[in-house]
Amino acid sequence: MRLRGKVWKFGDDIDTDQIYPGKYLPLTDKEEMAEHAMEGIPDYENFSKMIKKGDIIVGGKNFGCGSSREHAPISIEYAGIDLIIAKSFARIFYRNCVNIGFPILEAEEEDIDNIDDSDELEIDLEKGEIRNLTKMKTFKGKALSGLEMEIMNAGGLLDYLKGSSKY
Amino acid sequence: MNATIIEKILSSASKKKVSAGDRVWADVDLIAMRDFGGPNVIQEFKNNFGEKKVFDPEKVVFTFDLHIPPRTEKVAKNQKACREFAEEQRTRLFDINHGIGQHVLFEHGLVKPQDVIIGTDSHMNLLGALQSFSTGVGTTDIVAALATGKLWFRVPRTIKIEIDGKLKKGVYAKDIILHILKNLGTSGLIYKAVEFYGSTVDDLNLAGRITLTSMVTEMSGKIGFITPNNEIVSFVNERSGQKNEFVSADKNAEYEDVLNFEVDDLEPMVACPHSPDNVRSVREVEGTKIGQVFIGSCTNGRFDDLFEAAKILKGNKSKARLIIVPATMEVAKEAIEKGLYKIFIDAGAVVSNPSCALCTIGHPGVLAPYDVLLSTSNRNYLGKIGKDAEIYLCSPATAAASAINGEITDPRG
Repeated sequence: MRLRGKVWKFGDDIDTDQIYPGKYLPLTDKEEMAEHAMEGIPDYENFSKMIKKGDIIVGGKNFGCGSSREHAPISIEYAGIDLIIAKSFARIFYRNCVNIGFPILEAEEEDIDNIDDSDELEIDLEKGEIRNLTKMKTFKGKALSGLEMEIMNAGGLLDYLKGSSKY
Repeated sequence: MNATIIEKILSSASKKKVSAGDRVWADVDLIAMRDFGGPNVIQEFKNNFGEKKVFDPEKVVFTFDLHIPPRTEKVAKNQKACREFAEEQRTRLFDINHGIGQHVLFEHGLVKPQDVIIGTDSHMNLLGALQSFSTGVGTTDIVAALATGKLWFRVPRTIKIEIDGKLKKGVYAKDIILHILKNLGTSGLIYKAVEFYGSTVDDLNLAGRITLTSMVTEMSGKIGFITPNNEIVSFVNERSGQKNEFVSADKNAEYEDVLNFEVDDLEPMVACPHSPDNVRSVREVEGTKIGQVFIGSCTNGRFDDLFEAAKILKGNKSKARLIIVPATMEVAKEAIEKGLYKIFIDAGAVVSNPSCALCTIGHPGVLAPYDVLLSTSNRNYLGKIGKDAEIYLCSPATAAASAINGEITDPRG
């Protein structure tokens, strides 16, 4: 799968209360969750209105740390973001993304440091290849492998299970 | 043989020999949903599987602990949906009068060593103190496991943490884990399991062990295991009504790293805003004004935690607004029987019903902008209990001593 979009750049340890503030935990409607994506980050209270469909989030280390709330990746996906690239992901956030079939990609620290806000990126998810169209640079991220890639390709864990003998 | 504890548990749960880096489908022994997460699970389960029955109702449980009793109609509706689902599916449900989920589960004997337990709570892994592999997961994981009884896992590499030395008076497990957080940082254990060893750990009671294992989450770790001492073995056997088998790592187990911490000279520690690894000694920040103090949470809400706070609060008045919340009703009853509630109320505290309390913004005690909270909880992210408020994290003893002075205070006097 190939994706192309504009970068919204964030730092290290973007936690789940910044991505999706705890006061919205009682919500069960995904479109409603989307309105609050990244709302806990100062200056990004209106993130869901600032972005265009297909934009890309680029984060630092430990993206999505904190709570187990699946609301966090769901709000980002439903707000219109197509991909998150980060130096590393917190593990529950990582598996939540895989399970809902929302694309994520890890990349080397220095490569991430060379991406700036508003850069235009083109990504080949299978190969893990990232082309920075603004800076005319190409580098490799760590594509998902094995089981995680199979689940992602199936569109998420539940679709994966329905298509396999495990269910 | 060279297996770590997590490799042994996941080998047994997936019925094949696995090691770090492998992906496995493991049998799940218990699925726990809360009033948070539970309603989302039910909606997704019904969307995907209609009226299907869960794989085994005996292995599914609801624990209400976040917004109890409910404060909004939406929360009340969510809890009602959980009750109806539990009844349809004939699963157990611990309603608003019980307390924090993981604690309720082990008090009721539902947690056994080597069990694979998943729940909608990132601090499920505190059950590593009882040697269960227990981990927080999202909605989709729970839905899949409800349908199949299985879930996928990456077998993590393990880091061995040895903690040795005799803690000084006024220094607790919370100070140890904050000290470790200071050293390893919030991403220090990302994708990793931990095995805690050493003379200091051997001597910790259940409350202290829970404090250590719960905060593995704040370093992005998957699970922390502690080898049980006799007290823990008898507790687990008594509560579960059976004799349980505990596992040990093999002598030649392969660890990614071995870290040693000497704690003889450790001082009381505090995590400053807005990250749990922004840790300093209490001495360095002594005198910082605080408006509110919270003693409780899944990390520090056991009887022994409240007891340490009570020893300091006895006969004193709190200058700060003080909110004390036992982890469970069982803890609350013991605290009442042993006179702790009177001490707390005389000190000017508000004692609330057992719940997760001030670990989330849904509970009374929310902060105004620039309010300062000193909390025995586990996270101090920006905005967690109120926009632009500041949160410091510490032990129950430091919290109690600081409450009395209205400023951060060394509990050693």
